[in-house]
Amino acid sequence: MSVPPSSTTSSAPLSRRDLLRGTAVGVSGLALSPLLAACGGLGSGGGSGGKTLKIGFVSPRTGAAAGFGEPDAYVLKLARKAFAAGLTIGGKKYQVEILDRDGQSNPQRAAQVANDLINGEGIDLMLTTSTPETVNPVSDACEAAGVPCVSTVEPWESWYMGRNAKPTDKKAFRYVYHFCFGVEEFHKAYAHLWPQVSTNKKVGVMWPNDSDGNAIRSALGPLLTKEGYNIVDPGAYTDGTNDYSAQIAKFKSQKCEIFNTFPLPPDFATFWRQATQQGYRPKIVQVAKTGLFPSQVEALGSIGVGLAGAAYWTPTFPYSSSLTRISSKDLAAGYQNEVGKQWTQQLGPSLALFDVAAAVFKAVSDPKDKKAVANAIGGLTVDTPVGRLEWGKGPNGNVVVTPILGGQWVPAAAGSKYKLDFVVCENSCDTNVPVAAKLKAYGA
Amino acid sequence: MTWINAVVQGLFLGGLYALFACGLSLIFGVMRIINLAHGDLAVAGAFLIWTINSQFGLNPFVALLPALPIMLVVGYVLHRTVLARSLRGGALIPLLTTFGLSIVIQNALLQGYSPDVRSLGAAAGDWTTGSWRLTDQLSVPYIGVCTLAVACLVLGGLQLLLRRTAFGREMRATAQDADTAALVGIPAASIYARATAIAVGTATLAGAFLAVHSTFDASSGPTQLIFAFEAVIIGGIGSLWGTLAGGVVLGVAQTVGAAIDPQYSILAGHLVFLIVLAGPRGRSLITRSAPA
Repeated sequence: MSVPPSSTTSSAPLSRRDLLRGTAVGVSGLALSPLLAACGGLGSGGGSGGKTLKIGFVSPRTGAAAGFGEPDAYVLKLARKAFAAGLTIGGKKYQVEILDRDGQSNPQRAAQVANDLINGEGIDLMLTTSTPETVNPVSDACEAAGVPCVSTVEPWESWYMGRNAKPTDKKAFRYVYHFCFGVEEFHKAYAHLWPQVSTNKKVGVMWPNDSDGNAIRSALGPLLTKEGYNIVDPGAYTDGTNDYSAQIAKFKSQKCEIFNTFPLPPDFATFWRQATQQGYRPKIVQVAKTGLFPSQVEALGSIGVGLAGAAYWTPTFPYSSSLTRISSKDLAAGYQNEVGKQWTQQLGPSLALFDVAAAVFKAVSDPKDKKAVANAIGGLTVDTPVGRLEWGKGPNGNVVVTPILGGQWVPAAAGSKYKLDFVVCENSCDTNVPVAAKLKAYGA
Repeated sequence: MTWINAVVQGLFLGGLYALFACGLSLIFGVMRIINLAHGDLAVAGAFLIWTINSQFGLNPFVALLPALPIMLVVGYVLHRTVLARSLRGGALIPLLTTFGLSIVIQNALLQGYSPDVRSLGAAAGDWTTGSWRLTDQLSVPYIGVCTLAVACLVLGGLQLLLRRTAFGREMRATAQDADTAALVGIPAASIYARATAIAVGTATLAGAFLAVHSTFDASSGPTQLIFAFEAVIIGGIGSLWGTLAGGVVLGVAQTVGAAIDPQYSILAGHLVFLIVLAGPRGRSLITRSAPA
């Protein structure tokens, strides 16, 4: 920038020194404002920030995990409606504001929006969901800033141990809490699902070389071996591989009648089409991580019918949301009617987050006291669409374990608007959920 | 037999990579732009075909017939409105422009089509999961043969176009020296726009085959871009047959790597790419003296 030397003070009242000084103040002010806000946020004495409770909500709405965030708009609408009248806590009335942000399926972005919510908006409680890429950085930011946070839809081991807690830790975190299934639930579901079809107990596995794949290899593999299954593991492949003929050849030569994988959706589609081309046809095709949502299975066409999967929520869960009083069945029906798309498993846990938020605010005398709110989550019992969550009973103080149930994608009943339906075939993790059908062999 | 099967499957995978790479190779050869939005344009083409397929019930390969002209026009307009301006800004601006374009396309597709994954495999018919079973361990998928054949036809056709026609001569002249070509009356802007149109057209074709091969969603483009770029470098810039060879080398490297250990699949492809990059061809690329 150059100021013309001829400019007089009358025509340019801002001299260069003034400008620099002004800029310096401005910059330091900018640099300070998040700090100040953070101080305000950390000061847990209460009374600051008026009578509005702010809830931050971070989920992947765009990017590779955008499928998880799809029902969020509908769930947010339900939660906002339920909170519209405000909450009365300790004789005081509070307005509730929900600030939803998109983590873009990207850990850096998720951390950034979380910090903006904490420092810029001064939120009182954070909620976050879906995949380690979103949940872990948001939880880290909250633990560091001392803001209570509740998260879900990420296997709890990867949330707890993946963030430097030791398996032996009783309660590694002070402000962040989680509810989700873990490896043991997968083990239970598979151990009850697979015997429903007679096989040679040889399991061909495709576990990728990523955080989920490696966790499953080290934790689930030994459990399945103990159940008497013979694991055929060709080795970890890289996400985004476009050819799987080596694995298919191995599964064929070893005659693996069960197949299990934890892939990204396009990788499974590539594998499964190739497997069909090359004549590999196992009796049980157990897919996790992908095949959660109907669109992912529908995209496979006829070769998607009969895949076995697992669900962390279905409309047949006999539970209701304590905040909105909506039952699981009505939640799915409402989504299908209003949004016009088939229900997905995400509806349950997403709404459960808001149940937890409402319950914890009501459990404390001053909801602006972050430390009290965080402590209250640690002893909270709350009814949600995924079941009753009870902190303090789980594997550690921060985690509640929720069920995952084995099932199968079958053609929808005649007259249905949709092509496929997910039916629960075993309920070992939660016997209150009815079993709808017996697992059938793929292609049978 | 495992090895023969690995090589055969790699050959067909190479056909898909070559289809992706040829548009990238063409734009890089003619304009010296690395089009970072190439993968996303391919995915946009796949979405267009999906739309035609679901609206009118046309087989995806029939839907290509109306989709291709539309995408040719898209490519032409894209160059006239966006790329031509950024080309004037030096070497870095087109790179940034196509990077931005890639983000815009991904988010526009996400907005318009939701994050659902889609595939054209089912709509294309059951033959796409069929194959000739030569032995128990060796099978030749119909769709693989089809992909490779289309790749050969497209690259061969482009090669003929470049070598045998007046338009091809003009394009080669512009690629070598746009200013001098302009002196003898060849309008660079028009040549560039037509080259972009052809590149987007071939990207659409590649997108269609990707959509049959696997599933796609709004964020599928960038992964394929890396492989396409590697195929271009391995095959050598400016040579379209080289691009085909590059795609096949990359594909075979990945499948043979996977036959050793699935961990080495993608890595083997990257290693071949790095070896080529470290060799004389890589050096000529860095000094930008490769003849187009």
